[in-house]
Amino acid sequence: MKEEIRSTQEALERHGYIAEPSIATAVFLAREMRKPLLIEGDAGVGKTEIAKVLARLLDTELIRLQCYEGLDVQTALYEWDYPRQMLRVRMGEQEGQSPSEIEQVIYSRGSLLERPLLRAITRREGPPVLLIDEVDRADDGFEAFLLEVLSDFQITIPELGTLRAEHVPYVVLTSNRSREIGDALRRRCLYLYIEHPSLEKEVRIIRTRVPAASERLSEQIGRFLHALRGRRLLKAPGVAETIDWAQALVRLHREGLDLETVEQTLGCVLKDHNDLRDVAGAELAALVEQAQGAGAAAGG
Amino acid sequence: MTPGRDLVGHLARFAEALRERGVRAGLSDEIDAVAALTLVDISDREEVRRALRIALKIRPRDAGAFDELFERLWGSRDEERAARNRPPKDRRGPARPGKVLPAALSGQEVERESVTGDTPGYSPEALLRRKPFDECSPADLAAMERLISKLALRLATRRSRRLVPTRGRGRVDPRRSFRAAVATDGEFLRLARRARAIELPRIVVLCDTSGSMDPHSRFLLAFLLSLRKEARGTELFAFNTSLVRLTPWVSSGRIAPTLERLAAGVPDWSGGTRIGESLARFVIDYMDEMVNRRTTVVIFSDGLDRGDVAALEGAMRAIRSRAGRVLWLNPLLGDPRYEPTARGMAIALPFVDVFAPAHNLESLEKLLPLLAA
Repeated sequence: MKEEIRSTQEALERHGYIAEPSIATAVFLAREMRKPLLIEGDAGVGKTEIAKVLARLLDTELIRLQCYEGLDVQTALYEWDYPRQMLRVRMGEQEGQSPSEIEQVIYSRGSLLERPLLRAITRREGPPVLLIDEVDRADDGFEAFLLEVLSDFQITIPELGTLRAEHVPYVVLTSNRSREIGDALRRRCLYLYIEHPSLEKEVRIIRTRVPAASERLSEQIGRFLHALRGRRLLKAPGVAETIDWAQALVRLHREGLDLETVEQTLGCVLKDHNDLRDVAGAELAALVEQAQGAGAAAGG
Repeated sequence: MTPGRDLVGHLARFAEALRERGVRAGLSDEIDAVAALTLVDISDREEVRRALRIALKIRPRDAGAFDELFERLWGSRDEERAARNRPPKDRRGPARPGKVLPAALSGQEVERESVTGDTPGYSPEALLRRKPFDECSPADLAAMERLISKLALRLATRRSRRLVPTRGRGRVDPRRSFRAAVATDGEFLRLARRARAIELPRIVVLCDTSGSMDPHSRFLLAFLLSLRKEARGTELFAFNTSLVRLTPWVSSGRIAPTLERLAAGVPDWSGGTRIGESLARFVIDYMDEMVNRRTTVVIFSDGLDRGDVAALEGAMRAIRSRAGRVLWLNPLLGDPRYEPTARGMAIALPFVDVFAPAHNLESLEKLLPLLAA
């Protein structure tokens, strides 16, 4: 493995993100090639976390744009400060300014409300990390607009002219795949698909994120979730659920898993009524038994 | 450092092979891949694999094909290969080009079997609408096509959450109002407004093309292709013993050539239907991206399943939990004597919102309001 990729991996780990080689490679390539990184994967596998960790690692600001249906340019990019503009117009009139003078004042940077994309492009202190979260939730039309911003890193405001990026931001896009991301946007990016973590990685994540959990408990939780994801589920639990569950069990002062505890707290992990109903009784007991193991260490 | 010419050529051949397998990898992806390879340790084969997956934007559903081709084409040393586990098998099954669709899809068979005495194309609309598909001649198809496109226009009805400028009523748009006011010395003579845009419906169609559906397939596909002209986001799948995504073969052009293209490009299946396995494949490979709460999932099938009933139940449950609406269209339902006792049908029914006949154009016409977004 190339030295820089290994050091990226270590740096990510120092900041609390246990990264597989593929994740470290993607982060490294995105930084070196200065391309946006599109991350896909099931809910809760740690997509958003990568952007947060990247910002900590580069010691820079994280600018987040949460996408949703109906997200428009006014919310994502910029909006004129209308009350301020109105005020300026009235003041200008009273002072007897000419219409062109008034126009110059009201369409200046001072009357502009910066939204995340504009903020990311105009940040002076150095390149920020721009997180465009759940881009699949925005409309196709917004995606096309995003394409323009991400290819040139410049924004044209008709009244002001074109603003070019001071520093090209590091861009991370995440998608839950609730809609297929268009080919054009995908081409602009590098692409990373995050799978559910391996058993070994998951145990390490628990140890890192929930230090209060004993080694035995962490391993049992890891084995339980690993076995659980192996069966057919409507909503497979992600790492976020694992961490929640580990924290819950620590609060309950558990040193290991037993059937009763698992039955009482399974709602931390399975969040679909049908899954909860299906994984019960003898099957749950078998899963718990499997997790308790024969005292063997959690292998890879 | 620039990579050797050898590497670039190798990469081009690799991308070509990917495209042949239906994995979208364009020139810009190749350029990204070359750039990525200059940044990684190309003597480390696993690192090259990871970098190529990232730079060529390989989606999970294409991962099987990618791994297989990487194993084959990216010069490997034996000990490395032995050290690694075998890659997962290609989940989509190998594409077999050059095969033909079941006879009913290619059209010739239908022509020969046609027994109608009406002058094709001049049939009164009403008669055409009630004519069962298995009695139609290909010439009726053209007339149907025109009728369908008229019907499909009624489809787009749902209002999006996105706001677009409107001349009518709607929410005040301060930006455009202000812009207009500047021209009139700061007086707001007229307020600009925005209203919610009209949205195209989202439809995913899974069409059974097995032997028992043969007489219906061509007309159903013709109907679906016309539908796609109006609702461009419509995704089409055909299934039989395996699942094939038809959308890439479908262009917005005329319907007859598209059907010919389908016949030439889609692998042939014969024998029984495996509805359960086909739908389960759809759930794994495509559902996340193509189905959400606004999507209508339409399944055309007679429910005569020879496969795994448990798989069918699981797949239907998954689709039901995610889709806005699930329609099951059964051509046999046009026969008043039919009861849905087929094993597969009985399993699927609890997960279906609308169970309707689809044996002639009139029955499809009744569907349109249900398909609207």
